[in-house]
Amino acid sequence: MKMALQRRHSGKDRKSPGAARSALRFNQGDHPFWWLCPVTIVLAVFYVYPVLEVLRTSFTDATLLDASYRYTLGSYRSILLDPALLQILEATFVFVAGSVIGQTTLGLLISLALQAGLKRRLFGVRAVRVTVLATWVVPGVASAITWQLLLSEADFGFFNAMLKFASLPPVPWLSDPWMAVWSATVANIWYGTALSVILLYAGLQTISPTLYEAAAVDGATAIQTFWHITLPGLRPTLLITVIIVSVLSLNTFEIVMPLTGGGPGRSTEVLALAAYNMVFYDFNLAQGSVLAVLMLLINLAVATTFWLLFRGSR
Amino acid sequence: MNYRSKRGITIYIALALIMLFFSLPLLWLLSLSIRTPAEILVRNLHVIPHSPTLQNFAQVLNNHQFLGYLWNGLKLAIMGAAGACVVAVPASYAFSRLQFRGKAQLLFLVLGFQMVSPLVMMVPLYRSMQAMGLTESHFGATLIYIAMYAPIATWTMKGSIDAVPRELDEAAMIDGCGRLQAFLRIILPVSLPGLASTFILTAMLGWSQFIVPFILLSQPDMLPISVGIFYFFGAYAGSAMQLVAAASVLSLLPIIVMVFFLQNFVVGGLTAGAVKE
Amino acid sequence: MKFNRTLLLLVIFSIGCLQPTGSAWAQDLVAPDRIGRSDAPKSFTFRVLTAHSNNNAQPKFAAGMAELYEKYARNHPDWRVRIQLMSLQIPQEHARLLEQARNGTAPDCTSMDSFAVPLFIHQGLLKPIEQYFTKEEVEELFAFVRPIVSDTEGHIYAWWWTTDLRLLFRNTAHVPDPPDTWQRTKEAALAAKRTTPGLDGLLFNGGRNETTMVDFLPNFWAQGGKLVDEKGTPVFGKEPNRAYLLNAIAYYQDLIKSGAAPARVASITDYSDLTASAIAGSTAMMINGDWVIGQMQAAMTPDAFAKWEISMLPGPTAEQRSTASGGWTFVSFSKDPEKVKACMDLVREVYMGPAVEVLQLLPTRQSEFDSMPMFRSEVYQRIKQYLTKSQARPGFPIYTAISNRLQIAIGSALSGSRTAENAVDEAMEQVAKVVPKP
Repeated sequence: MKMALQRRHSGKDRKSPGAARSALRFNQGDHPFWWLCPVTIVLAVFYVYPVLEVLRTSFTDATLLDASYRYTLGSYRSILLDPALLQILEATFVFVAGSVIGQTTLGLLISLALQAGLKRRLFGVRAVRVTVLATWVVPGVASAITWQLLLSEADFGFFNAMLKFASLPPVPWLSDPWMAVWSATVANIWYGTALSVILLYAGLQTISPTLYEAAAVDGATAIQTFWHITLPGLRPTLLITVIIVSVLSLNTFEIVMPLTGGGPGRSTEVLALAAYNMVFYDFNLAQGSVLAVLMLLINLAVATTFWLLFRGSR
Repeated sequence: MNYRSKRGITIYIALALIMLFFSLPLLWLLSLSIRTPAEILVRNLHVIPHSPTLQNFAQVLNNHQFLGYLWNGLKLAIMGAAGACVVAVPASYAFSRLQFRGKAQLLFLVLGFQMVSPLVMMVPLYRSMQAMGLTESHFGATLIYIAMYAPIATWTMKGSIDAVPRELDEAAMIDGCGRLQAFLRIILPVSLPGLASTFILTAMLGWSQFIVPFILLSQPDMLPISVGIFYFFGAYAGSAMQLVAAASVLSLLPIIVMVFFLQNFVVGGLTAGAVKE
Repeated sequence: MKFNRTLLLLVIFSIGCLQPTGSAWAQDLVAPDRIGRSDAPKSFTFRVLTAHSNNNAQPKFAAGMAELYEKYARNHPDWRVRIQLMSLQIPQEHARLLEQARNGTAPDCTSMDSFAVPLFIHQGLLKPIEQYFTKEEVEELFAFVRPIVSDTEGHIYAWWWTTDLRLLFRNTAHVPDPPDTWQRTKEAALAAKRTTPGLDGLLFNGGRNETTMVDFLPNFWAQGGKLVDEKGTPVFGKEPNRAYLLNAIAYYQDLIKSGAAPARVASITDYSDLTASAIAGSTAMMINGDWVIGQMQAAMTPDAFAKWEISMLPGPTAEQRSTASGGWTFVSFSKDPEKVKACMDLVREVYMGPAVEVLQLLPTRQSEFDSMPMFRSEVYQRIKQYLTKSQARPGFPIYTAISNRLQIAIGSALSGSRTAENAVDEAMEQVAKVVPKP
């Protein structure tokens, strides 16, 4: 035992004898099987069947109206050859990209400001945190309706009234196809930033304070500190945040639906909303499943891209 | 001192702008919640209505199911989050510390489950839960929450554990600990802030979850607020918005209370960082 | 921190304890989740729209319904009714009902939106209920009701107990006479705008929502247009219906181009948006539903309210007029005839009559208009006349797909991203893909 302790303190050559002993003793713990068991069981029992069903249904022509169905690639053909698909993907791209950039940036800003504010014991910091979290706690439908009221282009719509106050022309927030997507994106940024704040704030805490102290001693400016210490330290957290935000944004329609319903026309019909309409209005389960598969593939592609981009040196 | 206070002011301005953006819709919601039915459709820039009233709050609180909606929402969210964390923590430890073939692929497979839209899964999910006899119960709903949020929990926990230097593991194991003991005694306590934020994240996701409780539960006294809020709309959408707004505002209260109390514990008061140099 | 945590636990615990326990209601005949004594021998499940039950969020309506439920409970002491609630999320609720009906787990007795009924009839999931109603009661129903709730052999599967309709509301200070044609409506709107700058001429739903369809279809129907034929095959994209559709869309486009209606109608999806404009005095006319009459009266001063009048929706000519009606029905999924009868007794005694007065909704039978005091007023008698000319959305499951596609078409045409012809043709193409195979 004493020898082992001495070895630890010596640091460098810990590897050889001690490691060999460890390897022998901890063969059991080294095998990932038991560690992964709980997750695997839970997913296998409750999630695998529905997911496989969705995949399977996408290869049929099943609808909610008919109990019988046939296997066919027709549903894929319908979706992929649909001229509206391009518009849907465009809307989804703007929505997701905007949400990822907006939520991550705002989340980062808020986390930094919160951290700095807390350090200085500034008054009102708690209020900011509570407000941001509150946006997620309020039921989504209520938030969406409130946004609809604020964005209303009637005389009493808040934003247009403010513009009028400043002698600026009103903006067709929701009735112009192009503008509507951005309005929906901003509403989604408002709604989802809370999650980024939680993740990024926790990430900020993992950066050792001594690094900051060293930087301060070296006379680094705020921007230099941010660029050389904060950002690199946040890299793994940023990766996770960006992936999670993109997955959630791609799958979400809680805000878009009450806000615009997907209109005008289909200009704000993001993939998730298209899937919803397909299942609940057209009652077309198969095509809805195809859209779900499409969302899955896009999600995977986006996540993989971020993973490869962000991995860098770890 | 001058430089310091300039920074302080910049932070204040940043926080103020952020506050404005996030609080505007909430303030509007508050304004809607204190209006009488006569004024709910009066749309002008007055944030405070002519005759503000607290009667909407009284009505919502008198609704027999409202507090139940909040309680159920909290219960499902917390139980789902706790279960997801329990299940995810060992997995994230494995992904972080152990080397094995196909690790990255497995990691993406796990996340892949998260990526399938629960909306489209609604029908097969209902059928499979029915076959297992787990519909109409909080237990069944919680299990689905766990399955839904375990992937995200795994990913975020992995990130937290990654941030813990491996020297700690190795030091513990050299001392004679098994990997499991090293994990339980050293790594877990040190990554507690990360675990806490994972818990909060999954709890928040569970709070806003609509499809799963909607499809699995039909007794009103079992529903969470994410489903129950819809019962405050009148016979024609928009005809009782003041009650929906009041219910939404009230649904913030338990959370605000919790956040104020848990703030220090959760999002940062604990000495930050994992490693004591 | 220790103090904080204890306090926190206490707070959570006390919130949990504030749950009203079941025992508080055990003695009463009516509880939020039950009608009848809790120890009654027989029971059935009853899923009802929240706003149509004793769980209505507004206390006066809730109390009124509770009273009606109590009467039923006294008349049927052997029955215990387990109440479930349905929300206004119509697509989701009905998809869930569909799945549960297939599974055999649907409630015994449930509310159903009128335009979902044909879907369930076609799937053979409902039991006929005409034996529980007299012939007179059935004959008194407005004309648009029967085709929706019956099958080809005349069996009735749902009791449609409340309805609504769309009206042209006008502020007589700006538009003294009711315009009866599209042309006159446009002119009246423009005239009002000229005398009062900043005023909107005519407002209506044009966004992506079912409300848009219900406001729009009367323009199509007034010309004799049909969305589907008698067998349920979509024919709206074929002549002459295609021409009628294009006429109606052109009418909307003309309103916007001339400035009679503001461009923002392409984003309005909510009747309360329109009502709010009327209350704010920022519009001269609007297309809205009958239920806002009460809302406007509550929100406006008597003088301001007195200026507003209703009239039938305008048509291409003064004789071609129509309006659209929706509403709610009750159906039974139970295989036990006793339960079906108990369900229909509830419908007869509570909903087919007293409930419409308590909830201030429109009834579906002409006799109710004459017998109930609330509906004897001049306004309601006129509404009764309009209802005789009203139409309901087609009684075929394909309607929801048609509606979805036409909403897209109208929105695209109004915002200019597509021509009306292209939009309609595309809608027809897409709908053709989901027509159920014979």
